[in-house]
Amino acid sequence: MYKQQVIRRILLSFFIGLLFPLGLLAQNTLEVTARADSSSIRIGEQVKLHLKATVPAAVFNKPEFRLLLPVVPDSMDHFEVVTRSNPDTLTQQDMKVLQQTLTITSFDSGHWEFPPLKFEVYGATGANSVDTLFSQPLAFDVNTVAVDTTKAFKPIKTVQAVPWNIWDYWPYMAGGGAIVLIALGLWLYFRKRPEKKPVEKLPLVTPYDLARQQLKSLKEEQLWQQGDIKQYYTRLTDILRTYFEHQFGIAALEQTSEELLKNIKPVTKLNQQRDKLRSLLAIADLAKFAKLQPTADEHVDCMVKAEEILEWTRPKEEPAAQTPGAPDEKPQTGA
Amino acid sequence: MENTSSDIRQLNEKIHQASAFVDLLNMELGKVIVGQRYMVERLLIGLLAQGHVLLEGVPGLAKTLSIKSLSSAINAKFSRIQFTPDLLPADVVGTMIYNQQKNEFVVRKGPIFANFILADEINRAPAKVQSALLEAMQERQITIGDNTFKLDDPFLVLATQNPIEQEGTYTLPEAQVDRFMLKVVIGYPTKEEERHIIRQNLNPEASAPIRAVIQPADILEARKLVREVYMDEKIEKYIIDIVFATRNPEEYKLQKLKPLISYGGSPRASINLALAAKAYAFMKRRGYVIPEDVRSICFDVMRHRVGLTYEAEAENVTSENILSEILNAVEVP
Repeated sequence: MYKQQVIRRILLSFFIGLLFPLGLLAQNTLEVTARADSSSIRIGEQVKLHLKATVPAAVFNKPEFRLLLPVVPDSMDHFEVVTRSNPDTLTQQDMKVLQQTLTITSFDSGHWEFPPLKFEVYGATGANSVDTLFSQPLAFDVNTVAVDTTKAFKPIKTVQAVPWNIWDYWPYMAGGGAIVLIALGLWLYFRKRPEKKPVEKLPLVTPYDLARQQLKSLKEEQLWQQGDIKQYYTRLTDILRTYFEHQFGIAALEQTSEELLKNIKPVTKLNQQRDKLRSLLAIADLAKFAKLQPTADEHVDCMVKAEEILEWTRPKEEPAAQTPGAPDEKPQTGA
Repeated sequence: MENTSSDIRQLNEKIHQASAFVDLLNMELGKVIVGQRYMVERLLIGLLAQGHVLLEGVPGLAKTLSIKSLSSAINAKFSRIQFTPDLLPADVVGTMIYNQQKNEFVVRKGPIFANFILADEINRAPAKVQSALLEAMQERQITIGDNTFKLDDPFLVLATQNPIEQEGTYTLPEAQVDRFMLKVVIGYPTKEEERHIIRQNLNPEASAPIRAVIQPADILEARKLVREVYMDEKIEKYIIDIVFATRNPEEYKLQKLKPLISYGGSPRASINLALAAKAYAFMKRRGYVIPEDVRSICFDVMRHRVGLTYEAEAENVTSENILSEILNAVEVP
């Protein structure tokens, strides 16, 4: 009896000893699974399909190890893939778990089998090894919606009002509040900003007075006496041209001598001085552009002509236009 | 070296005498050309300033007659090339022909070897031919095979463009149009001029033939004098202001022109404006340039050098409109 017990224990120990490495082996092997949340769906209903590969950490950490999750097309027999998550890697004790979740659906009613999915494993058992593992096929019952034909057809429902919720409008309220705050800030800023000092108004002088004044200072500068003849005539014609522009509205500064003589025709008073102006402009052009040196008498004569033109065209009563920016000094008006 | 007052006085005298032939030429051309003084004047500017002229006008405005008469009056060689779509560069510049007797290739010069060339309807020929002509205009020499030939002097190209019938034409690119010193737009004669034209053509025997009043060598001499015409720095500044106003109108208080101009005048525009102004002063028998000279030839020198934007074209704004605005805004010295 005792002998039998001893033999039984030895045999038991032997079998236990045999099973122990198998358990170890099971823990060290690769496993792939495909699991659905439900095996029965209504037509068009979506179901999650979890793809999972469990790999021993020692294998996973091999540099040459690579595992390719199944490539499931968007559409296959009776099934459609709606979305697919990014592959994820988890660590569970000394195992690594690679998983991906697909959302699938079916629009064909019936009993369908989702085919086994292929996992490709590289470098698990050797440097250049290639292994292929398949998941179990999955069976799905795709049911149609039962229609109660005994009842009458119902009309399409009208648009339903969504219950008002204040949180649906918070971006608008926040934007409005921000605008009110900015406006308030700007109002406060401009209210507190120091007021601009009123611009000091310069005394206004008429174009005639300004021209007289400029001619007087030109005379005083004695440019031609110092040999700066070109500058003398440039200034002289500029004074007259500016006067014509302000007094008669002729764009004289942008016109050549010929054009100016042509364009003064409509201004009768000025046109009466045409010959004087022509003679003055002709000498001035020669001095300015041909380096001609007019005589001293001609210099004086040109100044006199300019003053005469000014006097002849002097406005009688109120000035036609006024030029701001002249000094306060009262100009001489005598010819 | 700066010109003194007495130098300019002498130069003025010299030019006054030397430019007398301009009146002679005008008289001679007036025998056969009625009106079109503007065009003839521009042809002479091109001739004196050594620049080529692009003429735009409808057919029948005496373009060919003008240049032909001008060449006769100068005793120069004239040649006309009718540009067509099937024209080849060799038809213009010449080619190498095999001489069977001598057993060698000999050069056969093209019609471009003349003093005055009328390139009629230049925009009808393909780009390759246009390019051959424009290259010759620029370089003033032609290479055929291994031989390079200098073109005759004076050498003036008068190219014409028809503003209508644009179908099947090859528009000259901006870079090539820029090589023409002047682009002259010619219009119809007046009623009085038209009456003269009718009478003259009905009785061709009455009009005397053109005789040579000067020689090509005189033109070459005149060209030297044109270069000597005095241009004051104020005039130079005026020219630069005009050209810069086409590039940066906003700097001349012309902001409204900014969206209408795609590109302004190049430095070649400034050079040609200065040269043409000198030639114009010479023709007016003056030894110095005045602002009138610049303004008189400004449109002809600048109109093909101001690029218009699509916006300008949509609003029917022309380069002439833009130039008018600029001339009215830039201060005259």
